[in-house]
Amino acid sequence: MHFAIRYLTEYRYDHDVTDNLNALRVRPATTSNQRLDDFQVRVDPESRIGRHEDYFGTDVLEFGVSRPHDHLTIDVRARVVTGEPVEPPDAPWEGTTSAAYEQAAGEFLLPAPDEPDHPMLEELVTLARANSPLKTLRWVSELIPDRFRYEAGVTYVGSTVTDLLEGGAGVCQDFAHLALILLRRHGIAARYVSGYLWAAPQDGGSDSMEVETHAWIEALMPGAGGRGEPVWVGADPTNRRLAGESHVKIGHGRFYQDVPPIRGVYQGAAGAQLHANVQMTRLDPQASARA
Amino acid sequence: MLREPHVYRPPAGIFDEVFGPGGVPREYAQALVAELTRLGPAELAGAGRRRDAIFIQQGITFDATGEDGPVKDRPFPLDLVPRIMPSHEWDHIKRGLAQRIRALNHFVDDVYHAREIVHEGIIPWQLVVSRPNFARQVHGIRPPGGVYCHVAGCDLVRDADGSWRVLEDNVRTPSGISYVLENRTAMTRLVPQLFNTYRVRPVDHYPQLLLAALRAVAPAAEGEATVVVWTPGSMNSAYFEHSFLARQMGVELVEASDLVVRDDVLYMRTTSGLKRVHAVYRRLDDDFIDPLEFRPDSLLGVPGLMRAYRAGSVALANAVGTGVADDKAVYHYVPEMIKFYLGEEPILQNVKTYLLGDPEQCRYALERMDQLVFKPTGESGGKGVFIGPSTPADELEGLREVILRQPEKWIAQEVVKLSTVPTAGVDGTLAPRHVDLRPFAVFGEKIKIVPGGLTRVAMNEGSMIVNSSRGGGSKDTWVLDDGASPDADQVSADEAAVLPPALPGLRYAEWTGQAQQQQQQAQSPTPPAPR
Repeated sequence: MHFAIRYLTEYRYDHDVTDNLNALRVRPATTSNQRLDDFQVRVDPESRIGRHEDYFGTDVLEFGVSRPHDHLTIDVRARVVTGEPVEPPDAPWEGTTSAAYEQAAGEFLLPAPDEPDHPMLEELVTLARANSPLKTLRWVSELIPDRFRYEAGVTYVGSTVTDLLEGGAGVCQDFAHLALILLRRHGIAARYVSGYLWAAPQDGGSDSMEVETHAWIEALMPGAGGRGEPVWVGADPTNRRLAGESHVKIGHGRFYQDVPPIRGVYQGAAGAQLHANVQMTRLDPQASARA
Repeated sequence: MLREPHVYRPPAGIFDEVFGPGGVPREYAQALVAELTRLGPAELAGAGRRRDAIFIQQGITFDATGEDGPVKDRPFPLDLVPRIMPSHEWDHIKRGLAQRIRALNHFVDDVYHAREIVHEGIIPWQLVVSRPNFARQVHGIRPPGGVYCHVAGCDLVRDADGSWRVLEDNVRTPSGISYVLENRTAMTRLVPQLFNTYRVRPVDHYPQLLLAALRAVAPAAEGEATVVVWTPGSMNSAYFEHSFLARQMGVELVEASDLVVRDDVLYMRTTSGLKRVHAVYRRLDDDFIDPLEFRPDSLLGVPGLMRAYRAGSVALANAVGTGVADDKAVYHYVPEMIKFYLGEEPILQNVKTYLLGDPEQCRYALERMDQLVFKPTGESGGKGVFIGPSTPADELEGLREVILRQPEKWIAQEVVKLSTVPTAGVDGTLAPRHVDLRPFAVFGEKIKIVPGGLTRVAMNEGSMIVNSSRGGGSKDTWVLDDGASPDADQVSADEAAVLPPALPGLRYAEWTGQAQQQQQQAQSPTPPAPR
């Protein structure tokens, strides 16, 4: 699929602020099934933007506005072409204990520092296991939306998995964090993915729609036949499916805090109103018939 | 007491550094024993009282945990009997430490870049990434001069056979050097007669060594670097040392609110505007230096500092991310590091250590809980340490459960029978007390180590807990000058220029965290996936 993405963030401050420093992780990645054709960022008040790649390979854009200002606008535009990922290998459980698997898994097998000690979590962990790592991945992507209601406003950006377990509802960020725990507990390496999702119904609909940034996961599947390189496979526990060409990946990390779209601080005791909007437009509407 | 040497009895099976076999003073200690005998307990006790009064008056204090809970502003307990070390002994330690610090510095560089030691199969990558102080934020950043461990304070102990061993490495923000300097000053005032027959190598050039090292790594033209000491504030238990070092080096002592980053450059606020800073001796943990990249809930730091660091416009000492090297599980591999990076055999040995993340080593250690020391891997300063032989059985059972929950966060070590040195009680009589040694190394262009270091002494009979936060005291450590060994650790004249100190008095508004965006894309209206 071919998308134009516009991600517009506006902060309005009650009073003037200074030394407003921000780090953006909004640039779509280049992967085996995703290509970035065009990318631009504009910041108002105008500011020099620095760029580097972080530990996880995510592109980070940094800027700072030192002079007094009462608003900040971050305007991100990207054109991206995505394709369907290849069919993932369905290797047996033994594949997750090989040395090659552990090497590739790195920190994505480690428990999160704030993993809750909660009876419901133990129950879900027990339920989550299927006949193979891939079937477990597919099943976890069903199990979570079966058990938890998708509802915006119940949780917030700093919510923990405990909040989701106790509130019974949350958003994709919470669902992804829970999926990571369930998979890691079964020895499947899993990482948090930040990106954009083309959320139109598959039978067509509009060619342009307002969305928000999205979160899903990638899990490390042992190579086919227990040999071969392990591969990262995307799965979307909010939408009950493996990630596909409607997912546009920005980057990954151990959890949300490794890949927040915007992180910043400023000087001044002013409060702020935040308006964020992601507009996605399909540039190849005809192609949707083949999808 | 010393008029009848048989009264002083080193515990059996322990190396006493003053009295050798049969209670005969070792050769280098004979003059000290004679002088102490002349002095007598009453005079020694009197000097002790003068010492406490002076320390309180000068604010040389420490917060500790006593029997009745936390004790604030206790005079740092300096024992007036020095610890003496012949120069050949010190040369051995110095070579061993320099070797070890070179290897640790290589290791820090390696884990954030090529990871060769991992690819060679010497240290598992899983172990590295599971260390709490592994700093992903500095992946790919090489600090000025390639120096990471600018200040190192490794803890050494002396086993029953007199051999020196490394107990742990400290390459984050080791503290204690100010006590080394203050102790020496106090000793020359309180018990000058003890120095009569000895040539003791000086320690007071440490601040100039540190300043020279900071200037050497500062990205600035020669002689133009602005250096600061960054303290978390006056509530910090080592604040005395922070202000002491700033004063001694003649540089500014700053807090986060004095610093600001503009366009990848670090500045200090002064009454005459912003002034560029080239090198920061920071005395706070990575977690608190930059809320943009480390703990986002911490607004104590300097936002953008990591940006300036990445751009190479400022040197931070110690470098960010060194905590991966002084982790207690990584410690186990230091002898391997020395062989791998330097192609040398370790001069100083480790204490036998068991990694509890390894099921076999864990089982073995848990069978011998009452004989081993258990330490959490990410802590320093003796926090969370259990000494098996002196821990009640029910506490050990509780510990067993804690360990089994997260074995990779623990190590076990064989108990080292720390050496003893005669130590004065309140009444001035001498008794053997266990000691360790923390020498301070400074790495700028080269590694330089101040002769001796901080000798910490457990003030209670039989105790081997020497941490000052847990009631330990200290001793002046004398490295004897036999005139033979060249002293490469002195400062040259050009390293010693000192500027007049001045404190920036300005405090600015607080930082506020930018509102973050939750990722909350709605579900697709029609879930298309087949079940």
